[in-house]
Amino acid sequence: MKAIMSLGALIGVAGLLLLSGMIVGIIPSDTVRLIEGYMPVQVIAELILFVAGFTGISYMMSSMGMAFPRFWQGISCWAFVLLYLKFRVYPPIPFSVRAMYGTVSLVAVFMWVSANEEDWQKFKQPIMNVLDAKTGGNRLLRYAYLIILPILIGGFSYNAMVPKSEEPIELRTVHPAPPASTKVHGKTYTLQTSQNPYRVNPEGKYDQEYSNANIVEQGMGRLMKPNANPWDKDAQGYLKYVREGGEIFYQNCHFCHGDNLNGRGLHAFAFNPIPANFTDPGTIAQLQETFIFWRVSKGGIGLPNEGFPWASVMPPWEQHLTVDEIWKVVMFEYWHTGYYPRTWD
Amino acid sequence: MGRVAGKKLFSIMALVAMVGLLLLPIAVSLPSLAIGADAPDAVKKEGEQKYEKGRDVYYKTEGLAIGAPAPKTVDGPKDYPRYNFESRVLLWFANQQHLYYGSFVLAVPIFCMVIEFMGVVTKDKAMAKRYDQLAYDFIKISLTAYSLTAILGGILIFTFLTLYPAFFGYLSSIFRPVMHIYALMFVAESGTLYIYYYGWDKMRDGFLKWIHLSMSVILNVIGTLLMFLANSWIGFMMSPAGVDEQGRFLGNIWHVIHTALWNPLNVHRILGNMAFGGGVVAAYAAYKFLASKTDEDRAHYDWMGYIAMALGVAFLIPLPFAGYWLMREVYAYRQQMGITLMGGLLAWLFIIQATMIGILFLSTNYYLWQALGRMRGAEKYQRYIKYLVFILCCGYLVFITPHTIVMTPAELKAMGGQQHPVLGNYGVMSAKNGGINVIITTTILSFVWYMRGNKVSTVSWSKFGNIFMGVFFACAYVNIIWLAIYGYYIPANVRVGLSVPQVATTLSCLFFMFPLNSAMMKGAKQMGAIEWGKISVRSQYALIMLATAFTWMMGLMGYIRSSVRLFWHVNEIMRDNSPWAYTHTVGFAANMISFNVLFFWVSILFVFWLGSLGMKKAPVPAKAEVPGGAPQPAAGH
Repeated sequence: MKAIMSLGALIGVAGLLLLSGMIVGIIPSDTVRLIEGYMPVQVIAELILFVAGFTGISYMMSSMGMAFPRFWQGISCWAFVLLYLKFRVYPPIPFSVRAMYGTVSLVAVFMWVSANEEDWQKFKQPIMNVLDAKTGGNRLLRYAYLIILPILIGGFSYNAMVPKSEEPIELRTVHPAPPASTKVHGKTYTLQTSQNPYRVNPEGKYDQEYSNANIVEQGMGRLMKPNANPWDKDAQGYLKYVREGGEIFYQNCHFCHGDNLNGRGLHAFAFNPIPANFTDPGTIAQLQETFIFWRVSKGGIGLPNEGFPWASVMPPWEQHLTVDEIWKVVMFEYWHTGYYPRTWD
Repeated sequence: MGRVAGKKLFSIMALVAMVGLLLLPIAVSLPSLAIGADAPDAVKKEGEQKYEKGRDVYYKTEGLAIGAPAPKTVDGPKDYPRYNFESRVLLWFANQQHLYYGSFVLAVPIFCMVIEFMGVVTKDKAMAKRYDQLAYDFIKISLTAYSLTAILGGILIFTFLTLYPAFFGYLSSIFRPVMHIYALMFVAESGTLYIYYYGWDKMRDGFLKWIHLSMSVILNVIGTLLMFLANSWIGFMMSPAGVDEQGRFLGNIWHVIHTALWNPLNVHRILGNMAFGGGVVAAYAAYKFLASKTDEDRAHYDWMGYIAMALGVAFLIPLPFAGYWLMREVYAYRQQMGITLMGGLLAWLFIIQATMIGILFLSTNYYLWQALGRMRGAEKYQRYIKYLVFILCCGYLVFITPHTIVMTPAELKAMGGQQHPVLGNYGVMSAKNGGINVIITTTILSFVWYMRGNKVSTVSWSKFGNIFMGVFFACAYVNIIWLAIYGYYIPANVRVGLSVPQVATTLSCLFFMFPLNSAMMKGAKQMGAIEWGKISVRSQYALIMLATAFTWMMGLMGYIRSSVRLFWHVNEIMRDNSPWAYTHTVGFAANMISFNVLFFWVSILFVFWLGSLGMKKAPVPAKAEVPGGAPQPAAGH
């Protein structure tokens, strides 16, 4: 047990030193990088390591007769989470989400320190000491709180109420509900049932399983599958259409959506928000192919009421591309990102 | 002897007669229900001359359009008479209050049935008496709430008739026979409830007790059918069937009732009502606990709160799965509706809903950890609670991460796009399924710890059993998390299917680990008694929190379900042309829900107070104790 706790303490101390060093810039901030594609798991894994580390440190300090008071354990733990979210995770997390995470962490700390009566007594003892003010130091603290707390609350209230010049928060609906059908080049397409005519197997029949088997692999590198190279001059059928879609993409779309379809094209940063990142699992991977067909065809100007605040400069591509070209480019986007269009069967 | 047999025969005959009378209105009205498909040929021939044919918008069957088309309303005093106030808000208030009380009075008799049954089958006479008393206390609260439900139902109908006459006229023209059956069943429900309540003492012992118990079954069957019928109206408004595209009734009332969303709504509402009812009774017990002056009272209300919480949580655990099924059916019915709910206009309300679900589970776990404090010997588990807190917290954070993040344009720019590379992954369904299953599995683990809190297993295979349970839970966590990650690498339709093994993993923890734990704890050595009443006050606030979260969530989900129709009274059939055919802001909706919750709790406190007026203290027999606990108080009746 002691060996495990010592290891935990070591991890905790090393982790804290590393993180603080990276935050204040003593050591390069990319010493331990968040690896693209594994970030979500990595963040949770790091937090697990830190919790293990804190447990170890607490255990070791208790063993050495220098137990860290429960009150300060709780406060430090919460402060750590807030600082971790603020400085470790990049790009910066918007305040609304940090506020949610911070509140949940605070509740979790409360649940921990009050899970049993003994811990709860230990935790609230310093608070009670200040309130009782039986010593000179505590009396001073109590007066300090009496003055500082109203000032702080007043400050927060003033800050909340004072008129600001920054743009207001917008609850943007990224993927508004599509219409039941859409009319492109005079033909009506029912979004629930329409299919991409180029997603076909060698027999020329619609076959999503076949196309799914030939997309690039997800994860780092996004490598092409063996014998599934659309740029092979002999490629036929599905792969040939993917290549044609790719040509259309690089002639029309990549300026904004980027070479790697990650929304970071040449002109991307002229817009706010920047164009959609197709490699993110929250965009095309969540949607039916017909949804993308509709959005490409109608563009930002064709967003429904629900798409408030219509923050999209996407052109209505039906004015520039044929229906076939739109289907092909949509198929290329799925092929390149390694995602599968959503189906409902 | 002969007299006893006669009584038995008479009571059975009375019960059968009661059931027969209850079913009579349905049997009588059946032939007139469907004059479409099942009508006699003569009626059909006559109908063909008068009526056009129409095609069912959902079932795609053809029938005679015997109903009037849905009215095309215009904004004005004829279709939308009003006060100088938003009619929709008045209706929202009346509807929500009726629903709260309706849910409560439907759920509590189910609890009574379960608790009374436990009292009948238990061999310990003292415990049997406790259970019987508890069931009686429950139904007593329910009785006052029942009157209020009926009054609120009346207010609701008057609100509909006076503020939305065109819409209500259309709805009642479609559901005419259903509404009459509903009214008759309401009478039957009232009659059965009063006999059940006032006959409690008369039918206390022996065979008559079983008859009394059977009446609770009948009561609940009627209550459930009532709810199903009411659900058919909202099901029709969301996913109409049995009418053509002009909204003309095609003669088959079953089609109108059995819409695409009726079944999942029924299941979701039953479970939701039960969880809500458990929460309200637990809050009542917590309130009484906090107000108690004696150890006896504290012991009784501590026990009552625990039972109510356990029953509520038993139905809370499957509730997310029922909700998942409902959403799946919504997507299958109309993709736009699903996206509006979960990815579009109402997505942020779903984040609030996820937050509330998390609060429910967090409160439950917290209560259980506090409850360990009233057991001697449970200290060995308390030191590990911090790890459960961490696991719960991680699951919760993933579960509430929004897909559409609220941010200022400056933050949007700093983030470099709408999608965050870390949070974006938590904001999608695959991660959320993992999050909620981790939360539920941890709750099950907390329950297992609670069940064995003051006990040490004495079975010969206890070491093996402990290791097996530990490995089982560890594997469950690994499986749930692994499937959540794997979900990113497969097509969406397969990913949706992954929820099945995830849920199966969670449920297998519930269904295998509980019995295994019980088997291990059979004849276990008790480290100390459960000291009922010796629980922290924080636990009681957790129960109140649980109930408040249930109430708030019910209000929220009702609002979401109703809002998804957007500007339709009846989806794609009858348009809402009132000035209020827009979706409220999130802030307004949240305030309105909070007001409804506050009003409900103030009014139910009044109901509790009324209930307490009739309670008289009875002397507690020395034997009548919760095993190993402090003496329990009993109220006379």
